[in-house]
Amino acid sequence: MQNETIKQAPLLEARNLTKVYEDGVKALDNLQLTVHPGEIFAMLGGNGAGKTTTINIFLDFIQPTSGNAFINGIDANSDPLEAKKNVAFVSENVQLYPNFTAMQNVDFFVRLGGKSQYKRSDYEDALVRVGLQREAFDKKLKDFSKGMRQKCGIAIAILKDAPAILLDEPTSGLDPKAGKEFTRLVGDLRDEGKAILMSTHDIFRAKEISDHVGILNAGVLVARKTNAELKGVNLEELYVEYMAGYMEEVGEPSALINNLS
Amino acid sequence: MLSILIQKELKNILLSPKFFATFLVCSILILISIFIGINEYNNSVLQYQTNQQIAQQDIEQATGWMQVRNLLHREPTPMQIFVSGLHFDVGRVSGISSFDDVKLVRSPYSDETLFAIFRFIDFAFIVQVVLSLFAILFTYDAINGERENGTLKLAFSNPVSRVQYLFSKFAGTWLGLIIPLLIPIMIGLLLVIVFGVPVSESDWIRIIGLIGLSILYVTFFIGIGLFISSVTRKSSLSFLLLLVIWISGVLILPRMGVMAAGQIVDIESVAQIEAKQEAFERERWESYSASLSEIWGEREQEMEGMTEEERRAYRDEKEWEWLEVDDAARKQVQSDIIENNRTLLEESQNRKKVQEQLAFNLARISPVSSFRLAAMNLAGTDIDMKSRYEESMRQYKDEFTKFTERKQAESGNSGGFRIEVDSNEGVKLDFGRNDQTLDTSDMPRYSAPVVQAGTSFGNSILDFGLLIVFIIATFGGSFFAFLRYDMR
Repeated sequence: MQNETIKQAPLLEARNLTKVYEDGVKALDNLQLTVHPGEIFAMLGGNGAGKTTTINIFLDFIQPTSGNAFINGIDANSDPLEAKKNVAFVSENVQLYPNFTAMQNVDFFVRLGGKSQYKRSDYEDALVRVGLQREAFDKKLKDFSKGMRQKCGIAIAILKDAPAILLDEPTSGLDPKAGKEFTRLVGDLRDEGKAILMSTHDIFRAKEISDHVGILNAGVLVARKTNAELKGVNLEELYVEYMAGYMEEVGEPSALINNLS
Repeated sequence: MLSILIQKELKNILLSPKFFATFLVCSILILISIFIGINEYNNSVLQYQTNQQIAQQDIEQATGWMQVRNLLHREPTPMQIFVSGLHFDVGRVSGISSFDDVKLVRSPYSDETLFAIFRFIDFAFIVQVVLSLFAILFTYDAINGERENGTLKLAFSNPVSRVQYLFSKFAGTWLGLIIPLLIPIMIGLLLVIVFGVPVSESDWIRIIGLIGLSILYVTFFIGIGLFISSVTRKSSLSFLLLLVIWISGVLILPRMGVMAAGQIVDIESVAQIEAKQEAFERERWESYSASLSEIWGEREQEMEGMTEEERRAYRDEKEWEWLEVDDAARKQVQSDIIENNRTLLEESQNRKKVQEQLAFNLARISPVSSFRLAAMNLAGTDIDMKSRYEESMRQYKDEFTKFTERKQAESGNSGGFRIEVDSNEGVKLDFGRNDQTLDTSDMPRYSAPVVQAGTSFGNSILDFGLLIVFIIATFGGSFFAFLRYDMR
């Protein structure tokens, strides 16, 4: 019974998270979400819905106006250094140091994440796993495509071996093949027991790999469904409905969203 | 964690094209500057020695000690290789005679005007202008550039403290700039040794001080670069701001300080002082004439009613007394005039000192002035170099004048010469000393003023202190700004 409780403890948790910017814009309104080990939570939403704000609060880049963000039970904003030991991050457009090779970049960021026990062979294994070709290992990043940089980013996250992973629109701008490879990798990480919170516009991938999908509208989590609940729902239609409601910014939410809520 | 960050910063800088450019430019400039400086110093020494020999020969060939016109030359210093300061602008030679005041004339640039157009670029100038520019180039995007690139977010998704991160930025950049400074200067110093420049122990201490000062100066520019990069979001804006700060600090503020001091402390021109002296002189002589007329009127009154015979007898009796009175009055006038001239000159010099001091203090609002002034003080090529030399030459002049007077008295020779014109033998010059040269073996020798290294450091301590204050202020500001920096 106790083991089950430990297993169920969320690795990422937003508790009544609210963020009002200095200009008065409410980016998050009382957000509640949890991501447990072995789960992928996909946040869907338009621009300005609050997806990136949520991730920024988890990474302590901004402070919440009220509420808390916990990583592995540690408050990300009151003890950020301790909390960040438990999380890896891959951004929308992974940017590394252009004068460094892939190997040098991976080495730096992995050691920065507190992992100094790795050897070159470990880095190579991780880079092979993410699908980077061997001849690119010792090439400078300035010659890399976005897909190759994203692969390095995910390799860094794998090597950091943190229990939780934050992905900020990680497949944005990737070609279909690279996107598919990326999805496979994220699925593998979930299977290894990582708790993954992913913000994305990509509804197909969200449905394909997520255990939970949440739709954010103007900082409010207006919909939250498990993968099983989404099986009978046309997520594309749902999303378009949602986007239409969001774009109009007036009137009642669509019937479909109401149903989901 | 800190060592990982510093290693990354250093590696990132060492692999960047800007490090290569900095190293190349600094190496070329510093080595060429020292090489030219050594040549210039050797030429100056050669010229100095030749001039000394010519002056010595002139003395020996003089007709007598009263006719000797000694010439003193400013001695070159090895420190001019690194900080030329006012070396090329201050005169190199002054005549020493009882008739003329000491005044250094014929500066290197007044003799060779071509070189004044393309002035000598010394080590201090390279640090002041070139390295400060490179320091800006290294730091303008240190923080906001990483934000723009996205690497700041990735780095701070790890357990990294902001203080450690900023410190690593400073340490990495600092090492990246100190390498292009130290390696060429070390090679340059090796050149100085190889070319046999006589660098004294005191000079080595000054050189070490100069390198330390340069490091402090570069550190300030790293600090200001980090500060501006921490308070701006875009690297293009920080570069623009830093360029404005650099232009203001290096080119405008020091000059504005001097201009403001000129406006605040008014100094009379030489013509104005001379006009004042003449006016006082005229007024005193007129007053003297008036009082003399009055005295003579009183004397006439004393003789009123006397016969011509009695008058003559009275005048003969009083003649010496009256002459003494008149002479005393005249001497008083002369003494007043001399005293007034001296006071006016002293006042002018004092005001000039006040103006100089104010100009320096106002210019010190820019750390560039502190660096420049401290470097010149350390090298001994500062603004006091001229007065230091002229003062020591004046002291020598007194000693030399006494010596020549004594020698003249001993020889009993007027120092003149006789010209004999004979229809058979032609013109014959007789110097009255059997064509022998003057014996100068016991003539007092001039020694250039010596400034101890300790004194030079003492004179620079304010500027060293100011640079440290500027560094603390910029780093304090950087840390404060970065602790509040929005990473997104």
